[in-house]
Amino acid sequence: MAEGKVKYEPQIYPGKDETSERRRKLWDKRRKLAKYREISDDDITRLLGHRAVGALYPSVHPPLEELIEAYDPIKNIVVPTPGARAGDRIRFVQFADSFWHPPIAPHGRLRLYFNRLRGIDVVAYSGRCILEMRERDLEAAMKMLLETEIFNPARTALKGITIHGHSLRLDEDGLMFDARRRYILDKSTGEVVYIKDQMGRVLDNPVPVGRPLSEEECRKLDLAYTWDTHPFKSRTEVLEILSRAAKLRVLAGFNPELLTEEM
Amino acid sequence: MKAKTAKETVDLYDDLGNCVGREIPLQALSPLYNPYMREVLDLFKRLAVIDLGKLEGLMKKGMAGWETVVGQDENRMPWYGRDLPLVDRAKEIVERIKEKVEKYGDGEPLVEGAGKYIIVKIPRRMMEISASRDPTLTWTAVALCQAVAETFNMTPETDPDGCNMLKGAVFGRYPQSPEFPPGGPVSTFLKQSNTVDGLGSGFKAIMVNHLVALCNKRTLDAVALTTILEQAAQWEMGNALGWFERYQLLGSAYQGFNANNLVLDLVKENREGTIGDVAYSVVRRALEDGVIKVKRTLPSGYKIYSTNDYPLWNAYTCAAVLAAVIVNVGASRAAQSVSTVIGYFGDLLLMETGGLPDPDAGRVEGTGQGFAFYTHSIYGGAGPGAYTLDHVIPRHGSGFVGPCIVAGMCLDSGTQLFSPEMTSASYFKIRERLPLLHEPLKKVAEAAERIKPEVMKG
Repeated sequence: MAEGKVKYEPQIYPGKDETSERRRKLWDKRRKLAKYREISDDDITRLLGHRAVGALYPSVHPPLEELIEAYDPIKNIVVPTPGARAGDRIRFVQFADSFWHPPIAPHGRLRLYFNRLRGIDVVAYSGRCILEMRERDLEAAMKMLLETEIFNPARTALKGITIHGHSLRLDEDGLMFDARRRYILDKSTGEVVYIKDQMGRVLDNPVPVGRPLSEEECRKLDLAYTWDTHPFKSRTEVLEILSRAAKLRVLAGFNPELLTEEM
Repeated sequence: MKAKTAKETVDLYDDLGNCVGREIPLQALSPLYNPYMREVLDLFKRLAVIDLGKLEGLMKKGMAGWETVVGQDENRMPWYGRDLPLVDRAKEIVERIKEKVEKYGDGEPLVEGAGKYIIVKIPRRMMEISASRDPTLTWTAVALCQAVAETFNMTPETDPDGCNMLKGAVFGRYPQSPEFPPGGPVSTFLKQSNTVDGLGSGFKAIMVNHLVALCNKRTLDAVALTTILEQAAQWEMGNALGWFERYQLLGSAYQGFNANNLVLDLVKENREGTIGDVAYSVVRRALEDGVIKVKRTLPSGYKIYSTNDYPLWNAYTCAAVLAAVIVNVGASRAAQSVSTVIGYFGDLLLMETGGLPDPDAGRVEGTGQGFAFYTHSIYGGAGPGAYTLDHVIPRHGSGFVGPCIVAGMCLDSGTQLFSPEMTSASYFKIRERLPLLHEPLKKVAEAAERIKPEVMKG
């Protein structure tokens, strides 16, 4: 990561409490995310819905090594991803994270992607977070996004369209509302099963994505400061940073010469 | 301006990491003083390009008077068409335009034929007495019409409809419409002055892709050229005066001209890294260079940093957001990934430093939000390369967003619909005739070196 003359440890995020520690874990790429389940590559392809299982990756341009590009030293420095090298299309995945003790939330996803993934295009909204990458790079990233602690099958959803539901109460099976009814709880196996892909198209072979996390697990993995776990006011360090940032941005924007060392 | 030392200096490096300027005083990098910047800005103001091949096609098909780039096919009146071999007779047309224009010049060559293109520069004498930069368009259009009419003996007596068609093909509906036909046979580097949005934004009125093409997609060269234009606009709109002068000069030196090799160092260190890695690198580097230091430590062990030189810290952050764009788009080789970096990189820095201002005091991030929205999906806008720097979406802030967008488009390997090859094909060609625009990064440094003695003295 950051090497050089000074030994520097990224600090990632302030705060002494468990929620802050959770955020630091997610956003520090040196720390491994716990694996909870296995989802096969083909199942990932099915859930994304961008191409048929087993089909070749379509390209938008020839492989990089076949392109004749004008001289630019920078292009020889930064290492392109496998997808970029192959000339893949850019394809997307979009997740919605429920309010109810989520293992991650849209803004949290954005910082996780920024720290752990290369060659990304992300936008975080209030109810969803979209990630676009070269197709094979996206499928590789999906392993982490679906198999680890940041995916709660009941309360995290792959919603490429019609994302409404993150702020609604959970249904009788404890699942996030989905107007397109992409997933169900299979009572016989206790697992959440996707019967449609992220775009809401019916799957030939339903894809099981594992059992919902228990309420206790949810609270332990909670990214958010909530009234019943780590209340708003407990995050004093974060609030201090945010208010300092706001103040300094205003003063600096007004007159850059105003800022002093004491501020 | 409040200088940290009497004559504050930086070293400048090219995109290979070679030092091309040692101990350059900041003032030598100001568009008000740097002679190379002055030449570039002058060129941008007074250069026009005629596409004779295009005009020939329009005349033949009787196409004239469209209003939008996509509406070019709407008007076709082949019964008014004229089959004139303009490209074949290019030499003669060039001679005639030369005659009309160069007589007011001071001996420098102003009109040059380049295949089906004609490059026209307006005499300084005219630009100096002009209230605007409009002669670039008006003189070129009038000279072209006269030259074609003379070459093919078109007068109201010999060919009234032909004269009319010629006017329509070159001027479009102007002056009934305020704008010359977009994508028409006469074009200038900068948009027409009466279509520029906001005082002082003239030098921003150029499409991102044109800048990419003029630098043949060499990333740090395109960044340098864009910075020259952006900073000229900052001065022209009064945003670099007084309180802001040092802030602008430092920001443009570090981001635009690779001062102290910061941008290249950050890119090299993180060539296989992520956007986050660049953020941590720049904080470490700022610590090493004494730009920031620990002010307080919180109970969790988290450190709050402060700076006694905010404009310099800002320069570091602007260099960092550019480096992060290069690292992220260099990885994906898809220019669309630019907007996410611009729109969210600041947050990483805020959380890493305990609240020190992010690039341009949050304005880069703010601009990025709208830019991300309007370069994606169904909600309007266009690809990053199709925007002009003065467009309402990317125009905000102090000139530190444009260079990032241009860098992203340089690194794109062919994913964009609005590619430089599609929107700016003529600019790739014209570039060959404009050696002034080759290797701008190096030339900025060389020019700064030349005036160093007098800047240090004064």
